[in-house]
Amino acid sequence: MSIASDNPDIIERFGPHLAYSSDARLATGVEPDKLVDTHCCFCGQQCGIRLKVKDNEVIGFEPREDFPFNHGMLCPKGVKRYLQGSHPDRLLSAYQRDPREGFRAIPYPEALDRVASEITRIQSSFGNDAFAVLTGASLTNEKAYLMGKFARVCLKTANIDYNGRLCMVSAAAGNKKAFGIDRAANPWADILRAEVVWISGANVAECAPITTNYVWQAREHGAKIIVVDPRITPIARTCDLFLPIKPGRDIALFNGILHLMIENDWLDHGFIDEHTVGFEAAAEHVKDWTPRRTAEVTGIAERGIRQAAEWWGQAKTSFLLHARGIEHHTHGVQNVLGAINMVLASGRIGREYCGYATITGQGNGQGGREHGQKCDQLPGARDVSNPEHRAYVAKVWGVDPNDIPQAGVDAYEIFRKIDRGEIRGLLSICFNPKVSLPDNSFITRALEKLEFFVVIDFFLSETAHHADVVLPGSLQEEDEGTVTQIEGRVIKINKAVEPPGDAREDWRIIQDIAKQLGREHGLTFNSPREIFNELREASRGGIADYSGITYEKIERQYGVCWPCRGEDDPGTLRLFEAGSWNPIAKGAGPFYFPDGKARFNAAAYTAPAEDVDDEYPVILTTGRVVSQYLSGTQTRRIGPLVDQYPEPRIEMHPRLAEKLDIKDGDWATAESRRGSVTLRAMVVTTIRPDTVFIPYHWAGRRSVNQLTISAQDPISKIPEYKVCAVKLRRSNG
Amino acid sequence: MSVHSNMEFFVDPMRCIGCQACMQACTECDTHKGHSMIHLDYLDRAHSVQTAPVVCMHCESPTCAEVCPADAIKRTEDGVVQTARKPRCIACNNCVLACPFGVPKMQTEFKLMMKCDMCYDRTSAGKRPMCATVCPSQALFFGTREQIEELRPRSTPINQFRFGGQIITTKVSMMAPKAARAEYVDVTAAMNEQATGRTITLNILDGMCE
Amino acid sequence: MTGERIKATGWGVLFTLTLAILIVAGSRNLSHFDAALVGYTFAVLFATFAITYRYAMWLQRPPTALYWKRGWQVFFRPSYLVTNIANWFKRVIGEFALNNFIFKRNKQRGIAHSLIMWGCVLACAITFPLVFGWIHFETPPDDTTWYRTFLFGFPTLAFRIHSITGFLVFHGLVWASFLVIAGVMLALRRRMRDHGAAALQQFGEDFLPLILLFAVSVTGLMLTASYTWMKGYAYDFLAILHAMSVIFTLLWLPFGKFFHIFQRPAQLGVGFYKDVGEREAPALCRRCGTPFTSRQHAEDLIRVEKALGYRYEIEGSAEHYQWICPRCRRAMLVLGQGKLWQDVLGGESIHIDFPPALPQSSLGNPRIDFGPLGDEDKRNFHP
Repeated sequence: MSIASDNPDIIERFGPHLAYSSDARLATGVEPDKLVDTHCCFCGQQCGIRLKVKDNEVIGFEPREDFPFNHGMLCPKGVKRYLQGSHPDRLLSAYQRDPREGFRAIPYPEALDRVASEITRIQSSFGNDAFAVLTGASLTNEKAYLMGKFARVCLKTANIDYNGRLCMVSAAAGNKKAFGIDRAANPWADILRAEVVWISGANVAECAPITTNYVWQAREHGAKIIVVDPRITPIARTCDLFLPIKPGRDIALFNGILHLMIENDWLDHGFIDEHTVGFEAAAEHVKDWTPRRTAEVTGIAERGIRQAAEWWGQAKTSFLLHARGIEHHTHGVQNVLGAINMVLASGRIGREYCGYATITGQGNGQGGREHGQKCDQLPGARDVSNPEHRAYVAKVWGVDPNDIPQAGVDAYEIFRKIDRGEIRGLLSICFNPKVSLPDNSFITRALEKLEFFVVIDFFLSETAHHADVVLPGSLQEEDEGTVTQIEGRVIKINKAVEPPGDAREDWRIIQDIAKQLGREHGLTFNSPREIFNELREASRGGIADYSGITYEKIERQYGVCWPCRGEDDPGTLRLFEAGSWNPIAKGAGPFYFPDGKARFNAAAYTAPAEDVDDEYPVILTTGRVVSQYLSGTQTRRIGPLVDQYPEPRIEMHPRLAEKLDIKDGDWATAESRRGSVTLRAMVVTTIRPDTVFIPYHWAGRRSVNQLTISAQDPISKIPEYKVCAVKLRRSNG
Repeated sequence: MSVHSNMEFFVDPMRCIGCQACMQACTECDTHKGHSMIHLDYLDRAHSVQTAPVVCMHCESPTCAEVCPADAIKRTEDGVVQTARKPRCIACNNCVLACPFGVPKMQTEFKLMMKCDMCYDRTSAGKRPMCATVCPSQALFFGTREQIEELRPRSTPINQFRFGGQIITTKVSMMAPKAARAEYVDVTAAMNEQATGRTITLNILDGMCE
Repeated sequence: MTGERIKATGWGVLFTLTLAILIVAGSRNLSHFDAALVGYTFAVLFATFAITYRYAMWLQRPPTALYWKRGWQVFFRPSYLVTNIANWFKRVIGEFALNNFIFKRNKQRGIAHSLIMWGCVLACAITFPLVFGWIHFETPPDDTTWYRTFLFGFPTLAFRIHSITGFLVFHGLVWASFLVIAGVMLALRRRMRDHGAAALQQFGEDFLPLILLFAVSVTGLMLTASYTWMKGYAYDFLAILHAMSVIFTLLWLPFGKFFHIFQRPAQLGVGFYKDVGEREAPALCRRCGTPFTSRQHAEDLIRVEKALGYRYEIEGSAEHYQWICPRCRRAMLVLGQGKLWQDVLGGESIHIDFPPALPQSSLGNPRIDFGPLGDEDKRNFHP
């Protein structure tokens, strides 16, 4: 049978069906058995939430007002997150793809046996690297750590990567190049009294809603809010200065601002001299970025650029936030470096109310990228190609350093390798590449080429439709562990309910596979706590040092910000404070380089990989809506969230719509060189006339990633989701 | 049980980001579970993302109660105008149409008007209302006057609203700029106002990229 | 004494006197009147006066008065009379006999209410005529195993004393108490468990009526138990206890929750008013132009608001705030607040090169239960 995301038989059985409150969840006279303090599973802010549990079912929530980050605040996803449990689509047993039935339930041991024998067969015939592992940044630190260890120690494959590749890697790479460390430099509390809050490429109100209150609080005390975005997002509506940038031109703006800062001497010379290197080269580089040229490239009026530079240049305190809007580009790392240059030139970092941060997107976007599920990385944000790092981790793992594979390839490249026949088998957990990767018809073809594909998931995601075996994993509330949120704060996820049916905690499944393979060395943990304790050891002395963090300390302190190097260390709320110590600089300075100094990097402007032309004249940019999360595997199954934004729409400016004779609510087709999608038009003046926007949470024929381009940043390997060229026409649906 | 007299509800629609967390959370409140009592409207989505969150303002002399032919709407001593009393409400719609803020909702099937009761099950037990607790922008705020004064130094709460010749005084306040020195929010004078962002200082959407 | 009170007192006296006359007449000059029940009779007479008085006062409130008048007007409007009569039967059965709308609110609530309601109806149907002497039973002189029922002194059906019918008829109040007790238990259970109810309920308004009904039913059952199985043990004491509970309940009728029994039929009038309103001219919102209710309703409300002392008149073409639909009211509130900020903070607003039109607001989430609660609500809030 054909495997398509719109396959009615599979959808009939496995959904997405919509869950609404009923029975105990709707009753007003039910006393919960217990209340579990934990965190929301959606997005990197990880808001505190208190789940109500009755008869092993999460029946509702209570705002958790004691948690200092969100004080009870939640977005609609957090409010309705409880509906993902006890869901009719929940996988309650292992499944095997069956040519006749689509999927057939099989006993768990039988599934394990099949998985192990296929892994053995593929690895013995084609080499260890022919079996790849894909993981996700919504996994807990414990699971992320275990996945890295499983791939390197048990499977001995170099090819492990994760879906943070589509998310935070540009920021991570940029931060490492400039600061030597990859973490939000400041706690969010530093936003509260910043004089200028600069938000670039971040739809804060929809993707990190709780952050809105921090921004508004700053404004209550007089802050100027500058928002750079191709759309007037809700946070842009009432900002003080809105710069409607042309997608893909952020670096030009950052360079233009630095140019004006230098021209007007709005610089912190003391800081630049004492704490940075490379300013001269960067200054030289932005010399050509006059306001006129900046305006021409970015599509922002010169007046706006000058105003922004003036406010930014003259502020005494400030906070710069950015997100995927500047990172999802073939020059995403350069964009980030451009933003950091602005911060370094101002000298406003490492102090109270002087901050800089990327807004992580995924649940464990921060922690997920630190503990070794990234292709080039070992736990503690260590480098897989650094012999010292390899030796240290090998010692913790009790293996020969030479047995640890070298760096593998990124998540998208894994699919290219599958396509070329170099990778024959794949294990995927917490990842829905068929929806989330660009040019996803290629992904579909690649998935069908696999000799063996095993998926661990709690719902049958669209990617899992292509699996040979599906193992029933755990929801966030069915396991405990830690995650590291947006501020670098390690927090504790607590178990509220037991996994139903044959489903079990993901870490148990991974260990079961290892056991079945007869390679269980180092994969015999009995609890997440045991895994965490080994993670602490493995990260000790690394940049992302968790060695001083314990579950108890997390509960006591409402989270611990890493690095935390000892029992008495309360953690590090703010990075780069004057006089702070780190294992790289060893006291030479606050930044994570041997000389303790931050790096200016000349950020080179390049146009997007696929610019508009006569044939494809409109820029397509993609993003999120507030009621959906990532590929929608969870949120497309929660009725009230779907009702809030039932289907993706093509957002376009009336001037563009008029030209195409499209009215609000009409069907319209957007077509790129890779595919087309037909959706209803939403005609609004709140978007640039040269740009259309489509949210990416939907699958199959409604997936915008049929159109997006798989061109990647050469450093971070992030795909360019934010710009590709399309043409539009009116359609009949 | 009654709502603590220190605790007040403050609304600042200028902060609203239209995320609907309030509506979703409202359906979780035990006095009207499954139904959202808060309103969230786009004022003019074609031209703006401005949204209007409206909760019951809890008038001192509630028009809804006075036009009720069935005496079904009661204001408790702590100033909360309750949802219609179930045995009495005859679903006539008077309150829905007369409320100056457009708040009550009509559940015809139940023969019952339902409206925001400031999460009475929560506020009368010392908790904050669902909507104001979860609101990510804190456009809806529930706390003491001291707290709001400290958190919002530019603003002052106003609890008078003008509708033509009528001034209505409410328990719930709306945040207005201190500098405006306004005694009341003039609702009917805003009849022809455009929905706009406040200070999108430059409009670059114009004259570009043809 | 105000005019309203004089009027209400008049109606009260009239109804009470009428009932008194009926009692005298129905019991054939008190020949079938049981003197032991005189306490009950006076309680009923007092309740009649108080209920009529309150009802009359209630009807004189501007919104009620208008609905009262309009309800009858539209009911008797010749073009709708036939439909109205048909609907009257439909609604009396669906809404009053079956309590459909209460079941929709909450099933448990529906069951509890139906049990209590039918228990009370049955009990009243038996006791009131008995007390007033309107019903009495006689044994035909020729056959002592039979009973004949007399209504208002006229003979009606007869039945054998020891038949099933006889058992059922003589124990009618027992069955009624069972229904009421079951209903009260369900209602109390809900009131004690439900968090929503817990917040809103008050002792006098919500618990006292249930306690009274329970007391009446249980003391009544105890009387039956006393004379059936215990040879009349403590019968006199129980009789006094029962009488006290019943009399207190009767006296409480006009004041507390029980008064809804008399108010509720107004629902029928409202139904006809809405039916007719839907078929006639709509009120168009004078800001957005959308129909949102009947013109009659808007005009009536303007009248009511004026009578209540409200001054919602506005200058300009809109004339009165009542001509603005609920959704535009919400929009104007927020625009009004926004204007205060804009006046202070200034800044250039977004320039739109499209013809300036009034902002048309739309629901953030139009789904039932998020936006409107039902179809009628949708019309009020705009489709």
